[in-house]
Amino acid sequence: MKKLLNIILQIGLLFAFSIIGNGISSYLHLPISGSIIGIFLVLLCLKCKMIKLKWIEDGANWLLAILLLFFIPSAVGIIQYKDVIQSSGMRLFVVISFSTICVMASTGWIAELIRKRKGKAL
Amino acid sequence: MIIGILSLLVTIVVFWVAQKCYSYKRLLIFSPVLLTPAILCTLLIVFHISYEHYNAGAKYLTDMLQPATVAFSVPLYKNARLLKQYAIEIIVSLLCGSLLAMTTSMFLAEWMHLTPEMINSLIPRSITTPIAMTVSQTIGGIPTMTAVFVLFTALVGAVVGPLLIKYGKIHNKISKGLLLGMGAHGTGTAMALEYGQEEGAIASLSVVLAGIFTLLFSLFIHF
Repeated sequence: MKKLLNIILQIGLLFAFSIIGNGISSYLHLPISGSIIGIFLVLLCLKCKMIKLKWIEDGANWLLAILLLFFIPSAVGIIQYKDVIQSSGMRLFVVISFSTICVMASTGWIAELIRKRKGKAL
Repeated sequence: MIIGILSLLVTIVVFWVAQKCYSYKRLLIFSPVLLTPAILCTLLIVFHISYEHYNAGAKYLTDMLQPATVAFSVPLYKNARLLKQYAIEIIVSLLCGSLLAMTTSMFLAEWMHLTPEMINSLIPRSITTPIAMTVSQTIGGIPTMTAVFVLFTALVGAVVGPLLIKYGKIHNKISKGLLLGMGAHGTGTAMALEYGQEEGAIASLSVVLAGIFTLLFSLFIHF
């Protein structure tokens, strides 16, 4: 019970950071979402020792563990675009599959290449 | 109102059941990100419930994406050591990965004559949903569609990633983490953790950084 309350409070704190981030984003008219600014605010606060990692760690881990649940409603939103999926579903499949293979292969190989070079230099 | 509360509860329950099924048998069709929306869409069609009515309650889950995005600061902070140690590998490969993800999606989609709205929704598909939806909004895509493309990317990545690692001669832990995190974001991180702790840490770093890099690149499209 105490643990649950703790997690709720920690999520509240993370929420507060995203709200402050939203405020900064709209005040400065930045095209970056408040939660991204929130990430950097938390990092800054951690670095300056204004907050402790254990104040947010459990809540953050809990949120990240069930992250997938939070975009289920958006995924269900596909129901609004039935026609689009019917008319271009196959093309979308091709674009996404091909592009993903491209991205994964090049990211992996580039990293592998740099590791090898570094290994030789050492 | 009642439908709203009900849809919130049903979404959570269906997701929970799907997760149980998936941990029991690791089949792609049991993957919660695939099974849950499929079941919910079927329910909406069978019971003639509009998406607006469903979303009146379910939107509270979407709101949770905000603190969840901020939560990414924790893996970022905890793995700062790895980030420093492998800075060149991480930054160079993720910059290339992000740029390739955006450009290949864009050119392929254009080549296939998809509508401009769809092209813009496809561009941020290779990063974590909360950031992808923001980017989509900024560059004139449809965030909901982007969410679906992101999901689909994760599924393709989950299939292709391990094959690439096996047959593409990716031996290094760092490269494995980067490949999975860049290509399949959240799902990729979960898979990277199955390879090992270090792979998982690198993958979770990649998810955040790829998101931020893509966001920065998208500003150029925006202006």
